[in-house]
Order: sequence, then C-alpha cells, then structure tokens
Amino acid sequence: MSIKHIAGALSLSLALGLAACGGDDSSSSDAGDNQSKPTSGSSATKTDGPVKIAFSAPGADHGWMAAITENARDEAEKLGDVELQAAEGVTDSAAQADQVETLLAGKPDALVILPNEPDALMPVAQKAMAAGIPVIDIDREFTEQGAFRSLITGDNYGIGYQAGNYFADQLKCSGNVVEIQGIAGIPVTEQRSQGFSDALKRKCQDGVKIVASQPADFVPDKGLSVMENILQAQKDIDAVYTHDDDMAEGVVSAIQNAGREDEMFLTGAGGSKAAMDQIKKGGLYRATFLYNPSMSASAIRMARKIVRGEGFEDLTEPEVPQKITVPATTVTKENVDDVQELGF
Amino acid sequence: MSTTDAASGEGRSLPLPKPKGRIQLQEYALVGVVALILIVGAILEPDSFLTSDNMLNVLRQASVVGVLAIGMTFVIATGGIDLSVGSMVACAAVAGGQLAESGSMAFVLGALAMGLVLGGINASAIAFGRVVPFIATLAMFTMARGLALWLSDKTPVSLFSLDGVRWFGNGEVIGIPSAAIVFLAITAFAWVLLNRTRYGRYVVATGGNREAARIAGVKVPWIVFSVYVITGICAAIAAILVSGRLASASPIIGNLYELDAIAAVVIGGSALQGGRATIVGTFLGVITFALIFNLLTLMDLAVEIQQITKGLIILAAVLVQRKER
Repeated sequence: MSIKHIAGALSLSLALGLAACGGDDSSSSDAGDNQSKPTSGSSATKTDGPVKIAFSAPGADHGWMAAITENARDEAEKLGDVELQAAEGVTDSAAQADQVETLLAGKPDALVILPNEPDALMPVAQKAMAAGIPVIDIDREFTEQGAFRSLITGDNYGIGYQAGNYFADQLKCSGNVVEIQGIAGIPVTEQRSQGFSDALKRKCQDGVKIVASQPADFVPDKGLSVMENILQAQKDIDAVYTHDDDMAEGVVSAIQNAGREDEMFLTGAGGSKAAMDQIKKGGLYRATFLYNPSMSASAIRMARKIVRGEGFEDLTEPEVPQKITVPATTVTKENVDDVQELGF
Repeated sequence: MSTTDAASGEGRSLPLPKPKGRIQLQEYALVGVVALILIVGAILEPDSFLTSDNMLNVLRQASVVGVLAIGMTFVIATGGIDLSVGSMVACAAVAGGQLAESGSMAFVLGALAMGLVLGGINASAIAFGRVVPFIATLAMFTMARGLALWLSDKTPVSLFSLDGVRWFGNGEVIGIPSAAIVFLAITAFAWVLLNRTRYGRYVVATGGNREAARIAGVKVPWIVFSVYVITGICAAIAAILVSGRLASASPIIGNLYELDAIAAVVIGGSALQGGRATIVGTFLGVITFALIFNLLTLMDLAVEIQQITKGLIILAAVLVQRKER
C-alpha cells in the first residue's frame, strides 16, 4: 500500500520534473485532470475534479503515529473526491523535508503535514504556502503564522491539567504519585508534565506529592524497567500518571509483576483501544486522556474544504478556522463506551 | 597481545590466546567499579538499594541486554559489529506473538526461528557476500524493525495468558529470577565456549589476525558466519525474556539495545577492533550499566543529570582500566 503510494508520488514527480525541463510545467501526462487547476494564489478555489492532497507524517513506528496516517488514508477514501498522496516512514526532519519537496513537485492542491520538528520543516511549509498550496498543520505548531493556513492540534497541557484534576479528586488531595514521562526535552512531554503539576498545585497545594518523575521514552520496555526501579525505591504509591498508553502497558506489567496492583491506580494518555479495554474491565488502569489521532482525518476534511473554498456548516464564517484544538477528554469507565470508536 | 602472537604463530599450530595478563587486570578493575557503585549506592539510598530484592531486580533487568552483550562479545571478538540486535529482538518477539494462540512453546519456537533466520541473513551477507558488518547489520537494523511492524500490524499481542512465556519474565527458581538464571547460564556457557574450546580460539584468532588464522587452517568465513548466527539466537532469547516481563509481544521494543550491548562489551575490556574478548568483562560491564540505571532512578535524579552522570561513569571506568595496564 505505502510502497505503491510512494512509487506513485515518485513517478508523478518525475513526470512533472521532465515536463518542467521541457519548459512547460502546466502540462503532464500523469497529472491528467489537474490541468485546469490554478497553480498559484492561496485564495484560489477548485470546484470540479478531485482534490489532490499531499500528506506527510513521521515514521509510523508508534501506535499513535500509525493511527494518524491510517486515519488520514481512511478519511480520504471515505470522502470519495479526495486523491491522497501519503508519504511516511522517515524518522528525521531533513528526510521529511526532502519527502515534502518531492510531494510538492507533484503540485497538490493542499499539503497536510505532521512535522517531525516544526522548526526544521517550517521552510518547506512556507515554500508551499508561497506557491499557493495551503498547508494544514497537524499536532505540532509552526511558530510562524505564515507557514500554515490551518492548524489542528491536541491539547498536551490540557492532558496534564485534566489528569491533575482527576488525581486530585480521586486521591482527595492526599497521597504519593509517580509520573512516567515521555521523551525528555520535547514540548509534548514538558506540557503534559507542566499541566499535571499545575493542576495538582492549584487544587491541593502540596497535598499530593510527586515522589518520582522519570522519562521512559514512550516505549513499553523502558516503562517496565523504569517502573521496576521506582517500585524498589517507593514503598508507598497511591497512583501513577503516565504520558502514553503504549508505554503504560509496560508500567502496568511492572506493577502486576510486583503484585502491587491493589495498592495504586494508573492512567494513560492518547486513547488506545487496549487502554480503553482495560479501563472498561476496571482495576489498575482507571483512566486515559484523549489525544486523538482522529485529528488527521479532520485535517483531510479541512484541506478539502479549504481547496473547495467552503467553510464549516455550523460556523457562521464562510471559511475553515485557522486554529482548532481538540479537547483532552477524560476517559473513565463511565464514558468509555461513548468514545471507544475513537480508540486506536 | 593476540595480534603479535597470532602473527608469530603463523605456519605452526594455531595461536592460542588465553585470558591472561592485561585482560584479567581489566576484569579486576571493573570489579572495583562495581564495588564502588554498590558502596556509594548503599550510602545514598540506604533503604532500597542494597536489598536482596533490589539486587535481584537489577539482575533480572540486566538479563535482557546481558544476553545480547554476550552474543555481541563473539561478534566483536572477530572485529565485527552487530547493530541489528535491538530490531531483531522486536522482530523475534512479534514472530513469537503471531503463534501465541498455539501456546508458550509455539511462541518460544517462533521467536527462535525468527532470530535464527535474521541472524543467518546477516551472517550470509557478511561472511559470503563480503558486506562490511556495519552496513549489513545497519540494513538489518531497519529491515527487522520494519518486518516487526508489518507482521504485528503495528499493534502488540498480549501474552497475558501464556504462563510459560511469562515465567521467563516473572518466574523464580529458589528465589532467583528465571531471567537471571537464563542470563547466568548463557554467560557460563559462553565463557567455556570462548576460553576452553577450539572454536573460541578460532573466533579470537579471526579477529586478531585474519590472514594468520586463515593460513593456520581456520575456516574464517564459517567462523564469521557463526558469530552473527549467535547474535541472532541471543536476540531471540532476549525477546523471550523481555516479552515475558512485559506480558506482551510489541514491535516497538528493543530501541537502542545494540548500543547498550556494545557499550557493555567495550567497558568490559574486549577490543572493538577484535582479537581480544572477555566474557567475564562483558558480564561485569552489563552489571555496571544495570546498577547505574537502577541507582540513578532510585535517586529520582533529573534525566539530564542522569545522562551526564552515566557518561562520566563510563569514561571513568575505561580510564581506570587504562591506568591498570
């Protein structure tokens, strides 16, 4: 599937590149029905023919990131009039920039991108915008407004804040909490951590103590080892706040292996199916906070509307909004059935 | 030592480098480092560090990278490197996970088969395809990870009901974690293999002076072939141990294990250019890293301080060894 897409993108860009060499970049045998589309001017709208959307996201080696790409693909298929060129599999920013350049050579109507690092991908996004290709930025925000037409993002600080409130309520403002963080030093981790401690401080002052706080890089085996060590050091733990559902699986195993699952509860973040199943069952895994990969599906819809020159029906404005933040819903046993279909 | 020995042994019977002199000193130096960490830890974290429970925990944690490092010692002894062990761990775990419905034995066999196949591909490419180890295993590094993600459809398989596999993660024999027993048994076996058999001497000779080894009658390509098969099997064993602890077979585990394994081998005193290898040193190197990780987490130090501290300890451990020479 992905090989086919990449090969398609490559052959298309090659064909266009050859055409450009011939001095006529508006005609191409492969581009077919795109010939009538305007090639510049961001306000240009396209009312007929399929909408050609280029999509780029970092390597799908993590449950959440895999869901991002999959949701974008599914949504494009569902919409019918969208032609998606998805490229994935890169793990560093320079490679992603190259990949986006290749996609842009195919002259898409819009670019939907989840930048590996916003700062490193900003130049290529600006280039797309300058060429009249609207950029829809997912999850990680470009700092320059001019680098994107629309942004859709989750609420990392909100995850931490909601988790903090949840812990304050559950623990009645007294107890020992362990925090298992994601990758140290990236905004996602810092915001999920800051929101958590802010909410705890605000509600409980110093009633709830964060007795240990260690990164485990969003992977289950590191979560396991880190938690095993923390269990050695901390003989009295009331709850564990983890930054990610995949990683939390390892933390859960560590607690179960030590036979201490009755002593504490645990929460995740993201909203994986596995996490939701465990929340439903009850026990150690008590809640997760949505950071929903459905946002990539929404981004495809936004891109289509922007290209078509439409707005959202329920908003009075005739255009797609510039920024959309998906709320970090708290998922517990009570509401898990309502959100389960969003699980990944 | 072995380089010159091997060269002068040309034409006669095969040079037989034995663990003596410098290597033993290095091993003792690392014993000192381990002892120092134990003492410092006992002072800084008196309640939790030097307890039998925590020491067994350290041994269990060390077992996964430990098994990989033992295999890596053989590769490094020949002057090679294997960058793919972490990815192979994930791939072997997933391969076993595909058979999880048929029970624990099927899981174990599936993982071992995958380790054998992947190791065999590395081995063939390097020994007979003449691809340099760095490149061949770098290719496997990405292929095995991709295969793991593909086979698993990017989702972990729960092994919660497979008591047999979970025993490797949680089980105990007379109070000692089963994973640690596997690690210790493999270490002992590897020590005998490297130090007391003709095969072990051939491995070291291949790394010391390939040409001399060839002239002395060693079938060098087959020796090279064998060591990459060994790391493949070790990756599968490590996959069984870590999956047992996690109670799941996940395609995203094993990240950067290769670096941990290589680092343990090197601070243990084996030479990266080959020709000199020590299993005891590798064992102590693994224990050193596990103790550092354990102690720094117990102290709940900020991650940046942990990283700096870990780097300083590695540097100090190697410098101490140099002084002893």
